[in-house]
Amino acid sequence: MVGVDVGGTFIDLMVSGNGQRLLRKTLSDPDDLAGALLAGLGLVADELDLTLDELLERTERIIHGSTIATNALLTRNGARTALLTTAGFRDVLNMRRGMRSDLYDPKQAPPQPLVPRQRIHPVAERVDSQGMVLEALDEGSVNRAVAGLRRAEVESVAVGFVFAFANDSHERAVASRLRNALPDVHVSLSSEVLPEVRLYERLSTTAVNAYVTPVLADYLESIERRLADNGFRGRLLVMQSSGGVMGLEPAARFGVRSILSGPAAGPVAGLWYAGLHGISNAITADMGGTSFDVCLADRGEVEVTKETEISGHRIALPMVAVHTIGAGGGSVVTVDDRGLLQVGPESAGSTPGPVCYGRGGVRPTVTDADLLVGYLSAERFWGGRLRLDEAAAREAFRRQVAEPLGMDMVRAAYGAHQVVNANMVDAIREVSVRRGHDPRGFVLVAAGGAGPIHACAIARELEIGLILVPREASVMCAAGQLLSDLRHDFVRSCVMSLDRLDRDTVEGHFRDLRRAAVEALLAEGVPRHRIAVSCAADMRYVGQFSEVEVPVPETALTEAAVARLAGDFHRIHESLNGYSMPDAAAEIVNLRVVGRGLADTEPMSARNGSPATALTGRRRAFFEDGFREVPVYDGHLLTSGEDVAGPAIVEQETTTVVVTPEYRLTCDAYGNYLVYLNERGLAESLARVKTGQAEAQGT
Amino acid sequence: MDPILLTVITNRLEGVTREMGAGMLRSSRSPIFAENKDFVTAVFDRRLRLVAQTAYIPVLMGASPFAVKSVSDHFGDDVEPGDVMILNDPYRGNNHAPDISVLKPVFYEGRLRFWVLSRGHHADIGGGGAAGRNPHAATAWEEGLRIPPAKLYRGGAYNRDVWEIILLNVRLRSSVEGDLQCQVGACNVGEKSLEQMLERYGCDSVEGAMEEMLDRSEAQMRERIAAVPDGVYHASRQLDHVLEDVPGGRPAIRVRLEVEGEDLRFDFAGSDPQIPVYYNSSYANTVSSCYIGLFSTIAADVGVNEGCMRPVAVLAPEGSLVNPREGAPTTQCTVATCATIVEAVWMALSQAVPERVQAGWARTNAGAGTALNRRTGRPAAFILHFAKGGGGATQGFDGWNHISPVSSMGGSRVPDPELYELTFPHRILNYELRPDSAGAGKWRGGYGALFSLRFNEDGSALSVQIGSGAEETAPFGLAGGSSAAAGTVRVHSESGEALEFHRAAMHHPRGGDVAEIRSAGGGGYGDPCERLVEAVLDDVAADLLSPENARLQYGVVVDPETGAADMEATRRLRQARRSEDPASGR
Repeated sequence: MVGVDVGGTFIDLMVSGNGQRLLRKTLSDPDDLAGALLAGLGLVADELDLTLDELLERTERIIHGSTIATNALLTRNGARTALLTTAGFRDVLNMRRGMRSDLYDPKQAPPQPLVPRQRIHPVAERVDSQGMVLEALDEGSVNRAVAGLRRAEVESVAVGFVFAFANDSHERAVASRLRNALPDVHVSLSSEVLPEVRLYERLSTTAVNAYVTPVLADYLESIERRLADNGFRGRLLVMQSSGGVMGLEPAARFGVRSILSGPAAGPVAGLWYAGLHGISNAITADMGGTSFDVCLADRGEVEVTKETEISGHRIALPMVAVHTIGAGGGSVVTVDDRGLLQVGPESAGSTPGPVCYGRGGVRPTVTDADLLVGYLSAERFWGGRLRLDEAAAREAFRRQVAEPLGMDMVRAAYGAHQVVNANMVDAIREVSVRRGHDPRGFVLVAAGGAGPIHACAIARELEIGLILVPREASVMCAAGQLLSDLRHDFVRSCVMSLDRLDRDTVEGHFRDLRRAAVEALLAEGVPRHRIAVSCAADMRYVGQFSEVEVPVPETALTEAAVARLAGDFHRIHESLNGYSMPDAAAEIVNLRVVGRGLADTEPMSARNGSPATALTGRRRAFFEDGFREVPVYDGHLLTSGEDVAGPAIVEQETTTVVVTPEYRLTCDAYGNYLVYLNERGLAESLARVKTGQAEAQGT
Repeated sequence: MDPILLTVITNRLEGVTREMGAGMLRSSRSPIFAENKDFVTAVFDRRLRLVAQTAYIPVLMGASPFAVKSVSDHFGDDVEPGDVMILNDPYRGNNHAPDISVLKPVFYEGRLRFWVLSRGHHADIGGGGAAGRNPHAATAWEEGLRIPPAKLYRGGAYNRDVWEIILLNVRLRSSVEGDLQCQVGACNVGEKSLEQMLERYGCDSVEGAMEEMLDRSEAQMRERIAAVPDGVYHASRQLDHVLEDVPGGRPAIRVRLEVEGEDLRFDFAGSDPQIPVYYNSSYANTVSSCYIGLFSTIAADVGVNEGCMRPVAVLAPEGSLVNPREGAPTTQCTVATCATIVEAVWMALSQAVPERVQAGWARTNAGAGTALNRRTGRPAAFILHFAKGGGGATQGFDGWNHISPVSSMGGSRVPDPELYELTFPHRILNYELRPDSAGAGKWRGGYGALFSLRFNEDGSALSVQIGSGAEETAPFGLAGGSSAAAGTVRVHSESGEALEFHRAAMHHPRGGDVAEIRSAGGGGYGDPCERLVEAVLDDVAADLLSPENARLQYGVVVDPETGAADMEATRRLRQARRSEDPASGR
C-alpha cells in the first residue's frame, strides 16, 4: 500500500507492507504534479532496490490525498462555470446571506464571485416545500440558457433549483438536456451534490463542485494512466474531506468532496496511534510552517462539521472538523501599536522563511525564537541539511521585539514562544471546552514539524497529562491516508416532529440510503464483510435553527427506539450547550447514512532498538526561570521502554521533542514517544485518559 | 507589567466572551440569535468597566456598560455567588425592550471579581405588536413588558416568580424561555472560564493586566483621534417616519462633532424632541451608534473596552429623540434610529477625514410579523430580513451588494428561503438583486435587493417598516458620488389593488396578497464619470445597470445589441459633463 499527500511544495509518501513502513518527503512540481509524484515513487523504489514498475506491480492500493481541488479554489484556477437556477432567485448564490466577516474595516473589497451574474441563467420552474410541482419546467428558458452557455464557452455547469432536494425531476431533465447539447461540459446537480434543505448552502456547495471537479478529474485521469503505463494494476483511491476515502468514479464527479483531503487524514492517523494504546479520545494537533490544525476525536469518532468555508466559499458537506489558526514555525513575531507582543497569523512561510534559515527572511518568527531559547539546534536542524544562522535571529529579535518591549532578548524570544503557545491553547479550547469536552480526558497527539517542540507547554496549560508524538510526526497526513476507511456520506432532508413521527417513512428513507451506501461500496470492490453502515439524524428543538447530530443505532424504529432517540438528543444537547429542555418538542431535520469500507491496517512492527546510548550531548535551553543545561538524545537510538526525564530534548531528523521539567518521555514498542506528567507516572496517565473516556461514555 | 502575561490575559478575556457566544449561536430557539446573531457577550471588572466583549451585532457593543451599572446600583450589597440578574427596561440601563440583558456576578476567593453579561434580541416581549414590534405604540407600556433589574436565580436557586411573570406576558413562551436559558448558560460558561483564569494567573496579575490593557487601548484611541484634523463639524439626517400631524414632518437628528487634540465629542443639541412613535433612541443606544460611526471610520482594529471609550464623549439633550424621557417608545431605535445616527456621524466625519468615510448604507425595511407555523400549528414570529440593501462606497472600494445594515455592519445573516417556506404559509416569488438601485460613483454603492412574498392564506400579521424610503433619507453619496435609489414597500391584492406604505404600520394581509419589498442601494463615492468603463460594462452585462442609466449616470454609451461601449461617444459625453459642471459628475 502507498499513501501519498500531494501538495504544492512537498509530496509526502509512505509505503507500507510486510510489516515495514518507509517514509519519503520529496519536492513537488506545481506544473507537473503527476510527474513529480512518479519521480517520488521512483525514489522510494530505489530505496527498496526495486524498479518503479516492480514497486507498482506489487502495490495493491494507492491512497491519494492532495490540495489540487483546494488550490483550484484558492488561486481561482477552476473551470469556467455557469449556474442554472430557479427564475426569481438569480442572486442567492452571490448574496451570501447578507454577511461579511470583518465588520468595521471601511476598506474591504466586495468578494469576487465564483460564478458572475452574467453566467447565472434563470430557468422558469418551481417546486414547493413538499416536492409538488407548482410551475412546470419551461423549455424556452432552458433553451435560452443553453444558448447562453454556448456563447460564454463555459466548461462546467451547476444546476440548483429551489426545493430540488424534495423533487429532483426538473434538475434531472435539465441535466439530460445539457448532456445532449453540450457533451463536453461537466454538470453538477444540487440534488446530487448536497440533497438537503438550505438554498444558499446547497447552491454554493454545488457551484464549488462544478468549479473544481473538472480540474481534479483531469489530474486523476492523467495520474491513473501514467501509473497504469508503469505497471500499476491495483486500486487508486482518493482521500475525502470527511476523513474517508472514495473510488475514482465518485472522485471524478464530486471533486468538492476532496477539497480538504490533505489535512483530513491527520486526525484519522492521530486516532489510530492513540488506538495502539487502547485510547479512543484524542486531540490531534499539527503545527507546521504556517498553520496549527487541531481536531478532536471523541470515543473513536473524529469530529465532523458541516460549517466549512474556504476562502469565502461556503461548503456544507461533512468535513473533518479541523480548526485552523495562523500559528506555525514561520509565524511572524511583532509588537503591535498597543505595545503588545503578538505572534501570527502572518507567516514567513518557507520562502523567505525564518531569519535563521538565511534565505532572505528579515522578520523574526517562532522558529527563530525556538532556536534562541535552545530548543532547536543550529547544527542538526533537518538532519544537518540546513545550518541555522543564530546570530541573525538574535539580532532580529533584539531590534524588532526585545528593544520595543524593553526586555532582555532571550526573555523576548521565550515570550514569543509563550504567546504562540497561548494562541494554540485557545485553539484547543475552541474544539474542546467550547464544544463541551474536557481536554484533560484526552491524549494530545502532537504532529507536524513544530508540534512536538511546543506540545509539553501546551499540554501543561490545559492540564493534559499525556502526549503522543508519532514516529512519523512530520508526515502524519500521508500516514493517515493508509489508515482511512472507504467512506460515502448520504443525506436526505426529512423535516418531521418527533411526537408525530411517520416511522414508516423514516425507516424507508434509511433503508434507501443504506442500500445506496452498500451498493456504492460493493461497486468499489469492498467485500460485504468489511462494510459498516451507520445512521444518524440531525435533530433540534422545534424553533431552533441549528441541529445536533444524534446516532440512530436501531434499524427498526419502534416506539421504544424513538424514545431512546429523544433521550439521546436531550443528553447530547446538554453536553454541547450547557442545558437541555426535556419537556420541549423536538424534531428531525435531516437523515444521514455513512457507509464505510473498513481499511485493513497492518500492525506496525516494533522498532529495532540499538542498545547503544542515545545521549548525544547537552545544551543550554530556557525553561520558565532561566537557562538550564539539558541532555539531548538521538531519537532513533532510543529503544522501547527507555525513559527520559524532563527537562530534555529528543531529536530526530525532522522532529524535535522538547520535554519540559514537569514531564517524562518514553518510547513505545512502535517507536512513537509517549510524554507524561512526571508526578503522575505513565500507568496513571494512561489510566486517567481511559477513565475520562469511560466517564464520558457513562453520561 | 510583564508584556507576555499582558498579551495572554488580554487574549484569554476575549476568548471567554467567544466561549460564551458559542453555545448561544448553536442552541438558540429564535432565529434572531442563531441566524441573525443579534446578541453580545461581555466581561466587566469589579469596578464595572468593560474589559472584553464579542459583539456579533455592533449596535450592541457600546450599550452594555449601562446595564451592568444599573444592575449593580440596584442591588448594592445584595449580590452573592450564584445570582443571575435580568433587565430589559430602556429607562434602567438597557437599550430597548426586546434586547434582554442577563448578567452574573463572578466571585473568587469570596470576593466579587467580575460581571459577565449576555444580551440578545428576543422574538417576543409581549405588548400589542407582532414579533415584538408595535408600530402603533405611543408609549413604552404599549410596546411590551418592562423588566427592571431582577434576579432569575438567587444564590443559585431558580426564582420561579420572576420567570413566571415574564413567561406569562409573552405569546411565544417556549422561544423566550429557551433563549433565556441559553443566556443563563452563556453566563455560566463565562463564570467558569474566568474562575479558571484567576486560578491559573492569580487575582493580582489579572487585575494588573486589565488595568494596563485599558490604559493602552485608551492611548491607541487617542492616537487615532489625534490624526483627525481638529475642528467642529455639523451634520443632520432625518428619520424615515413621517409624523401624521406635522406637515412634511420627518424628525431630524443633528450632531455637532468636536475634535480637539486627542479628545472627541458628539453633541446632539438641536436634535428634534422625542416622538410618540417607536423610534426614540435610549441614551445607551445613542452612545453605541456613535461608536459604530467612529470605529467603522478610524478605529476598525482598536479593541473595544472601557479604555478606548475614555476620550469619547456623547452629549444628548434629555427629552430629545436621542435621549427620551421615561415612557417614550423605543423598539426601532436599534435599527432605524441607529442608522440615522451613524449617517449623521459619518457625514460629520466626512468633512474631517473624507478618504476614510463610507457613503450611506441602505436602512433596513425588513417587515416582521406573526403567522401560523405549518408544522407545529402554533403562531410563530418571522422577520423578513431577506431584502438587505446596498452598502456605501468609499475611496478605493465599491459598496457591498445586499449586506445587512449598519446596526450590524454585515454581521447578521439572512434567513434561508427554503426553511422559511417550510415553516410559514407564505411563498417567496422573488428574491434577487434590484437592478439600477446602486448610487453611482467612481466607486459605486452596492445593489439592494427585491423580495416578494405571497401570503397563501388569511391570518398573518405584518408590521411594516420603511427604510431609506424617500429622497431625503436615501443613502447619500460622497465626494461627487450619487445617492442611491430609495426603498419601497407595497402590498398588492389579487384583485389588483396596490397599497404603498410611507410609514411604519400594522397590516393584515389576505390570502393571495403579495408584499413587495425593494431595498435601497448604497451611496456612491467620487465622480461617476471617472469610473472605469469596463466596470460600468460589467454591470450592464450582468443586467444590473440599464444601458440608459449607464449613459445618464456614468456617461458611458453602450450599444444595447452587442453590450460594447462606444468609446468615442463616451469620451465626448464625459468631456461635455465635466465642462458643464466641473464640481460634480452628476
